[in-house]
Amino acid sequence: MIKRNKRLPLIISSSLVGLLVIMALFEPLLMPNDPYATNIAMKLQGYSAAYPLGTDHLGRCILSRLIAGAKVSLLTTFSILIVTIIISLAVGITAGYIGGLVDTVLMRLCDILLALPNFIFALVIVGTLGGGLFNMFIGIVCVTWVWYARLIRNMVLSLKEAQYVKYAQVTGVSRLNIARVHILPFVFPQILLLKLIGLGSTILLISELSFLGLGVTAPMAEWGMMISDSKTYLLSNPMLMFIPGVMISLTVLIFNWFGDTVRNALDPKTL
Amino acid sequence: MVRDVAEKKRWMSEGLRKLAVFVIVSCLVLLTAACGSGETSEQQAANTETAANTETLTLSWPLDLGPINPHLYAPSEMFAQAMVYDSLVSYGDNGEIQPALAKEWQVSEDGKSYTFTLREGVMYSDGSTLSAENVKRNVEAVLQNMDRHSWLEAVSIIEKVEVIDDLTVKIDLKETYYPFLQELTLIRPLRMLGDKGFPASGSTAEEISAPIGTGPWILTDHVQGSHAEFTRNDNYWGDKPKIKKVVIKFIPDSQTRIMALEKGEIDLIFGSGQLAPVEYQTLQQKGQYQAMISGPLSTRVLAINSTIAPTNEKEVRLALQHLMDRKTIVEHLLNGLEEEAQSLFSPGFPYSDIKVGLYEYNIEEAKRLLDHAGWKVVDGKPFRMKGDQALQVTIPYRSTDVVHKGLLEYLQSAWREIGIDVQLQAEESQMYTQMAREGEFNLTFNDTWGVPYDPHMFIRTMIGENQLGYYVQKGTAISSSFTANVEKVIRTTDENERRALYESILRGIHEEAMFIPISYRTNYLVANDRVKGLQFTPHQYEVPLSLYELKE
Repeated sequence: MIKRNKRLPLIISSSLVGLLVIMALFEPLLMPNDPYATNIAMKLQGYSAAYPLGTDHLGRCILSRLIAGAKVSLLTTFSILIVTIIISLAVGITAGYIGGLVDTVLMRLCDILLALPNFIFALVIVGTLGGGLFNMFIGIVCVTWVWYARLIRNMVLSLKEAQYVKYAQVTGVSRLNIARVHILPFVFPQILLLKLIGLGSTILLISELSFLGLGVTAPMAEWGMMISDSKTYLLSNPMLMFIPGVMISLTVLIFNWFGDTVRNALDPKTL
Repeated sequence: MVRDVAEKKRWMSEGLRKLAVFVIVSCLVLLTAACGSGETSEQQAANTETAANTETLTLSWPLDLGPINPHLYAPSEMFAQAMVYDSLVSYGDNGEIQPALAKEWQVSEDGKSYTFTLREGVMYSDGSTLSAENVKRNVEAVLQNMDRHSWLEAVSIIEKVEVIDDLTVKIDLKETYYPFLQELTLIRPLRMLGDKGFPASGSTAEEISAPIGTGPWILTDHVQGSHAEFTRNDNYWGDKPKIKKVVIKFIPDSQTRIMALEKGEIDLIFGSGQLAPVEYQTLQQKGQYQAMISGPLSTRVLAINSTIAPTNEKEVRLALQHLMDRKTIVEHLLNGLEEEAQSLFSPGFPYSDIKVGLYEYNIEEAKRLLDHAGWKVVDGKPFRMKGDQALQVTIPYRSTDVVHKGLLEYLQSAWREIGIDVQLQAEESQMYTQMAREGEFNLTFNDTWGVPYDPHMFIRTMIGENQLGYYVQKGTAISSSFTANVEKVIRTTDENERRALYESILRGIHEEAMFIPISYRTNYLVANDRVKGLQFTPHQYEVPLSLYELKE
């Protein structure tokens, strides 16, 4: 049962996340204009009924691009979440449970990858593969699974010594079944929780790569890319940069808070 | 009671942690927003006092100047190489070759042998004098590193260098090559380094021991990644600079540059690479700065790859030509800082005043051409189709180039209405260069190089494999005659024949729709009131600091 003093933040934070998700899912209904239609005669307009947040340097509706950007950011983040969980579970459980040489090889690989700075490593991967949404996805997955795989492997190591696992082994349950029935269900929720807390940093990583022009491909709208596009307009039209900037900070804040409240609510031990 | 305290502590630590998370997140966001602007504040503080000095001009540059090796390329910055080193001859207005370190020269009848008489008493910054022996040493140092210079015909065509007497040097060529003198004027790699500048190994292919030149400026201080200081060469053989000292601060980010100008930490921002058009315009409109635009220096051009589909079809290339709305681009995306281009090379360039015509912006004509080529509008499909192929063109660009990106995004949206699917590919700089060299593009930006490279070097690279321009002409119907003409034009010594060949080359480029000229690129500068005598030279890569003055 979730304690009362933890319930309120959880409700607020999850409804904020829900709001973002709704924004991403129902984007075509919410957008006042086509986010990709340029109209150079209407460039750099202020707020108006037709363009609630004004237009950018090519005359595109900023609000529509923000909403379209939410979809890109959130969908990518969630798919990265799913894929990294799968990879890190697979690697972590294999290494931890089988042990021996497999463990050594996998963990040394993790050590090597962990020694590289996250962002630089992602940048190198995306730089070599070339820009684009899919390559960015690969780059970020490559740098994020490592840490979690290591964590899972350590969890599995301690689980392996648990009485019920030993008992299952003695009674001749297959290794795969032990992993599936006795280990996975215990590890999965913890990892999901940790990943939820890390969502914010993934969103930032996407924006950073797009800011450097290596994320999504033009004309796809993405917040980091919107900031980068408006760099040269910093003096003349600062709002161009400010709006997506605020959007990124708010989203990261909301996701970090959401991760925190979920953990507080479900896992009192950690405090 | 004890429990309450514990509860409170816990609550506080949680509060603190959340605050910390908030602060970190905000910092990260700010960092993302102002990437790269943080690192220069230190340097600025270190150099503030120099800007106030009445004898020092301070300007910004986006990159470090590098080792300033006269015989090598990046990371040595061209304008700095031009400040320190001189060439035998220089490129004057209208392409006229003028004396520099050589006061006169003679070309043999067959055009294969050049004899240069050196100026007397030219001093290097270390006090040594220029001699024929030294010139020979420099040219041979360049010849030793042939792999790096093979792109430059003037280097690969040299057979030998001879010292005739102390002030006379003779260069023999393997074949005649009309632009030889023109290429001697280049900022690199054929400029002269003092004897003491050569490293112990004698080869400049890796490093030099010191940047010792005969140029108007002497490098007196260089702090890697921060700033460089040049002092006037009081022994300079030509017109001496009017300012005593120049400090160049390395500021990679344009917003930081503008801030530095506004705070008075720098006096001058020079060059179109340093300010986006809109930034120039914003500063100009403030009214408190001197803002200037140069004449045309080179041409902003989209190259069309004729070796891969669908741009291997002439009609598709022609249609794309008719779809270039230069007026809108110049007016709205380049903020009127550049002129609409009428031809591949501005008519002021050598052999470029040839009228070959221009494809006017005409959507109906483009549609007709596409229809005729079989690219038809099909109901229910967003793009024109030929069989089951959609009309798609790929345009890679350097991910950091904001001006190109805006331009391409505009084209993408405008061409979508015609039924052309434009795929934009943002690439990291080295990756981009590689793609261009391997011909992995339908269209891409390929600006011309300006004097003294244009037109002959731009055109010559079009026949060399692994060059961007090669893919532009290779797939056209006239490729073989085009290649033959280019090979002929650089060998001929007859002025009339050369003119006729250039005419047929430029006409071929136009008729086969190889390049889409967009605008003539310009340089621009913004300076505060301290600087006087602001002007431009025809050289895109030089900053004419010697001509500027400071107010008393």
